[in-house]
Amino acid sequence: MATVEIDNLHKSYGALQVVHGVSMSFQDGEFIILVGPSGCGKSTLLRMIAGLEEITAGTVSIDGTVVNNLSPKERNIAMVFQNYALYPQMTVAQNMGFSLELSKIPKAQITAMVKETAEILGLTPLLDRKPSQLSGGQRQRVAMGRAIVRDPEVFLFDEPLSNLDANLRVKMRAEIKALHQRLGSTIVYVTHDQVEAMTMADRIVVLRAGRVEQIGTPLELYDNPQNMFVAGFLGSPAMNFLAGRLAVDGSPSLVLESGETVALARRPDVGAERDVVLGVRPQDISLDPTDGTAAVVKVIEPTGADTHVLAELAGQDVTCVLSERLDLKVGDEIRLSFKTPAAHFFDLKTEARLSAGN
Amino acid sequence: MTTTSPIVVAPRKRRDPVLIGLWISLVLVAIIWLAPVAFITFTAMKSESEVFSSAAFALPSKIEWNNFALAWAKGDFNNTFWNSTVITLVKVPLGLVISAMAAYALAQIRFGWNKMLLVFLLFGAMIPFQVMLAPLFTLVNSLSLIDTYPGIILPYLAFGVPYQVFILHGFFKAIPKELTEAALIDGASHFVIFRRIFLPVCLPVLAALLILDFVATWNEFAMALVLLQDKSMWTLPLGLMSFQSQFSNNYSQLNAAIVITVLPATLVYLIFQRYFVSGLTSGAVKG
Repeated sequence: MATVEIDNLHKSYGALQVVHGVSMSFQDGEFIILVGPSGCGKSTLLRMIAGLEEITAGTVSIDGTVVNNLSPKERNIAMVFQNYALYPQMTVAQNMGFSLELSKIPKAQITAMVKETAEILGLTPLLDRKPSQLSGGQRQRVAMGRAIVRDPEVFLFDEPLSNLDANLRVKMRAEIKALHQRLGSTIVYVTHDQVEAMTMADRIVVLRAGRVEQIGTPLELYDNPQNMFVAGFLGSPAMNFLAGRLAVDGSPSLVLESGETVALARRPDVGAERDVVLGVRPQDISLDPTDGTAAVVKVIEPTGADTHVLAELAGQDVTCVLSERLDLKVGDEIRLSFKTPAAHFFDLKTEARLSAGN
Repeated sequence: MTTTSPIVVAPRKRRDPVLIGLWISLVLVAIIWLAPVAFITFTAMKSESEVFSSAAFALPSKIEWNNFALAWAKGDFNNTFWNSTVITLVKVPLGLVISAMAAYALAQIRFGWNKMLLVFLLFGAMIPFQVMLAPLFTLVNSLSLIDTYPGIILPYLAFGVPYQVFILHGFFKAIPKELTEAALIDGASHFVIFRRIFLPVCLPVLAALLILDFVATWNEFAMALVLLQDKSMWTLPLGLMSFQSQFSNNYSQLNAAIVITVLPATLVYLIFQRYFVSGLTSGAVKG
């Protein structure tokens, strides 16, 4: 268990810079998730912490020690890869014990340590099998076992659940979270799946194009996204954005480019009239047959618990999640209300969040 | 109301004409390849008179094991067999070890010059060795290594390693880099990764290369002819050539000598052939 400090970290491949001066620090025992779209530099960042990628500039410290020039094995970290990276010709027990064997720990002790870890992960009956004889979920568990058995300072996970099917992913998610609670170790976890990030992390780091967009707890990021990118990235289905001009006088409302007016619950503190982007999560949109803004139903997706409706409002697509069971058909007109206190406002140009008003 | 018929008519098995064609060509090719082997083996076991009195592919009426003993003695196979064995047993494993290590370094350790070094190495596989026979002789001679084991093993290594590196490099490149990275994090050095992870994974390819290299080295003629002048240093192919020129009219013993020469390579092939096949097809289908 240890703290991790990243200070002004840069990474370039020749002229191509992929990480632009990233700084962050993780507390001892924290579960940190680095999330962002493909190519945002999250895996590169993780690999720089692991020592698998050279650092162009900046420092990485683990437990107060700068590890820039230490080899991966000297950093006392363990990593779980997306494709498991199990040694194909070794049994599960040998895979798990490999690092211990290399550190010259006596055989009897290795067997005991492997056995103990296998028990935590429910791998005991599989210890004599080869990786090719295991299912995807079992392989992932072995990869985790290989990491746990070493009792490292920091665990690094590089998209460990991406190769699993949807059901197994949900199950493994819970297992990893339970494991973190049990071990209490520092975990840095990379994923592009915002659901994984929201459900597992103590804190989330949202990255875009090699820069940190926002760091915070899942609910902080969900409730108070600093910009449109974070707002759109977290939450499923994604947040709806409607661009328009904010009226200053009268009841709070937004005039869309098409001229339609969307009634609002509150108005941000912007002073004069100005162009903004309204962000409303699909779950915060409701039906209002009297005051709502007209929209035409394009796609209906019943999930059982609720219904996702994709509707066209003044030429823009709007997704809403309705808990009522309605007899809707494609082409029907519905009236949507955006009068929610949970509405977000962003600057049209900078995409930054505008402070809340009345 | 629908009724279901209790009688199920089995569809007539239709043979795929393409498959039949392929089988016929396979049998034809097998016959073409097996005919000389059968001819040589049968002739080697016939008596001198039977060779001329019976049909070429007829089975021997009485097996003349003595042919082998006589050929062995006349052809000085004691000596040539020993030389071939020493040269092959040193060259083949040594070449494979060097090639595997070089291929690992080129494929897995980044040091900036990997691609250029590989291309440089491949030049060795592109230039036919016949072109280099004369300069090679001069070089080996200047090192005073003519008629010595190192004098033939070193050139064999030089000409054998490039194509082995080429094949192994392709194979090592295909192994996910995460496997190396996981091992590096586990605390393994590159040598440990090579020995404990890469070598076991590529055993089928190594077995395939071992067979190919064994057969090539065992049967190599031209370079041995140039670099081994002393009769006591001759290898089997040279011994066979000498035997042929001396006893060309004694067909049964000549063929017995050929069988003696070919047999070890055949045995090695038979022992490793199951790896050979899996090695050739490995990587072809996602495992």
